[in-house]
Amino acid sequence: MSGARTIQGRGLVAGRVEGTALVSQEPVSFLGDVDITTGAIMGELPSMKGKRLGGSILVFPGSMGSAGAWRFIYQLFKHGTHPLALIAQTLPDPSVVQGAILAGIPVICEPDENVLKTIENGDRLSIDGTKGTIAVLG
Amino acid sequence: MKLSRRDQEMLDGRHGAPLRRAMEGLVTLGKAYGAADMVDIGYAHIHAGMAMYKDDVELMEELADAGATMAVPASANIANADLVNWRDTGAPEPLARLQQRAAGAHHRMGSASAFTCTPYWAGHWPTWNMHMVSIESTVTIFCNSVLGARSNRDGFFAVYAGMTGRYPRFGYHLDETRRGTHLVRVETMPENISDFSALGYHVGKSVGGGVAVFDGFARRPTLDELDSLGAALGTSGGISMFIVPGVTPPYATVEDCFPQGRPNDAIVADATGIAETYASFSDATDVFDLVHIGCPHASFEEMKDYARLLHGKKVKDGVELWITTSRSVRNMAVEAGYITVMERAGAKIISDTCPMSCHFARTASPDPKLGVTPPTLRGIVLDSAKQAKYVRDMVRCPTLLTSTEKAIETAISGRFVPRFG
Repeated sequence: MSGARTIQGRGLVAGRVEGTALVSQEPVSFLGDVDITTGAIMGELPSMKGKRLGGSILVFPGSMGSAGAWRFIYQLFKHGTHPLALIAQTLPDPSVVQGAILAGIPVICEPDENVLKTIENGDRLSIDGTKGTIAVLG
Repeated sequence: MKLSRRDQEMLDGRHGAPLRRAMEGLVTLGKAYGAADMVDIGYAHIHAGMAMYKDDVELMEELADAGATMAVPASANIANADLVNWRDTGAPEPLARLQQRAAGAHHRMGSASAFTCTPYWAGHWPTWNMHMVSIESTVTIFCNSVLGARSNRDGFFAVYAGMTGRYPRFGYHLDETRRGTHLVRVETMPENISDFSALGYHVGKSVGGGVAVFDGFARRPTLDELDSLGAALGTSGGISMFIVPGVTPPYATVEDCFPQGRPNDAIVADATGIAETYASFSDATDVFDLVHIGCPHASFEEMKDYARLLHGKKVKDGVELWITTSRSVRNMAVEAGYITVMERAGAKIISDTCPMSCHFARTASPDPKLGVTPPTLRGIVLDSAKQAKYVRDMVRCPTLLTSTEKAIETAISGRFVPRFG
């Protein structure tokens, strides 16, 4: 991974994965935002309009207090429409973390820079949920 | 994070694979939220295993198959079909059969398969300072705010907490979180349970994830009124707790709720706010197929009230009246003769589920082989802001919100009777 820029965050849920960034400028609740069977964005998330969550590394500001988020994240996983990893600028709600643990989706939060500005849609990322590192491969 | 010797043993797998998995999850959660250690819990209100979601009942069966059991008293949350009277709701049989399997898993794990959002009316009554977990926000709020127990709004990990008897010490398990953040000045005393729901929904919008302190109720609200208030607060906001000084243990005065001093501004709870909630959930239609009361699942006192209002009456042809309550309360109402009165009037008494939780929901993801096709409903008349919000979001049909008494009048006359006018 030489030449890649590395951003340091706090690893919440372990796991290493490489994938393509999908950036939301709006907080995500998961409940009602995403169609479970297709992973298509449905809710009021203008910056992700027309996109699908499946196979992406979701970069987002944080979650919106929905206690049911875990169930929707787990359902996305069960339908194969889940994001490969979550990078949250702020600490997400416990329900999001519980869903991610259940689905084995690595989570990093509180990166040392504003990733909503520095990471763009389509960037290749390699993340380590144990160390809390985000490598931007380009 | 400091772990007890037994926590560490569970984490190391010395008490079997299910407890290892549970403790791993709880430790990860605790570290994420900066918990110093774990607390002993005294009660867990856990996931039902929901037949309307793919592989979700199976999630509970896998735990039961692996030998998981509940270390503390536990009850199961509301489910997606009435396990007994599912035919009355029009649910497809495979959905009901799958939901029944969840009851089997709960029996094996030793949790009471209550399948209700109001386990307290069914006898699960945690007390002051008891740490507990709950997957249902209405239960979290009632137990924090009315009983003085300590609970977060949990997700699936309520199951892990029930298995281990442990939970990371963060959120509403800490004294410093259990303080007022918003002062609410009650200027209009709600007149009935639905008004408490409308008021709670109105206030919740301004409180977010904070703790609302209510000042100015003209009398001590009843348990049913507090239940209704809390359920609505948790629907429009991310609230886990509210405080009514003199009611919520251990707060005697408004000053007790704000150790840093009383806020300068107050949220006003008045007739305008109550009326706004009713208006916002009353769509421009007077056509409906269903009248629903009993959200959250009705208490025995509410069942008594419904029986009084329905005595000697008849639900209009072409209208369905659903009364939802837990199976335990239903059984008490059978003993008291209320169910006979209600059924004679043509009402359907539904347990284990409710309109937004059953096969009406369009946002769920049932296994296609269950044959679930949500019916097209022209409108539902409701007496609860919580149910109205989720019917709108999940069932996606028009709503008409009114009081309990007027919802029953609506069912009898076949014409919508609004709360005001």
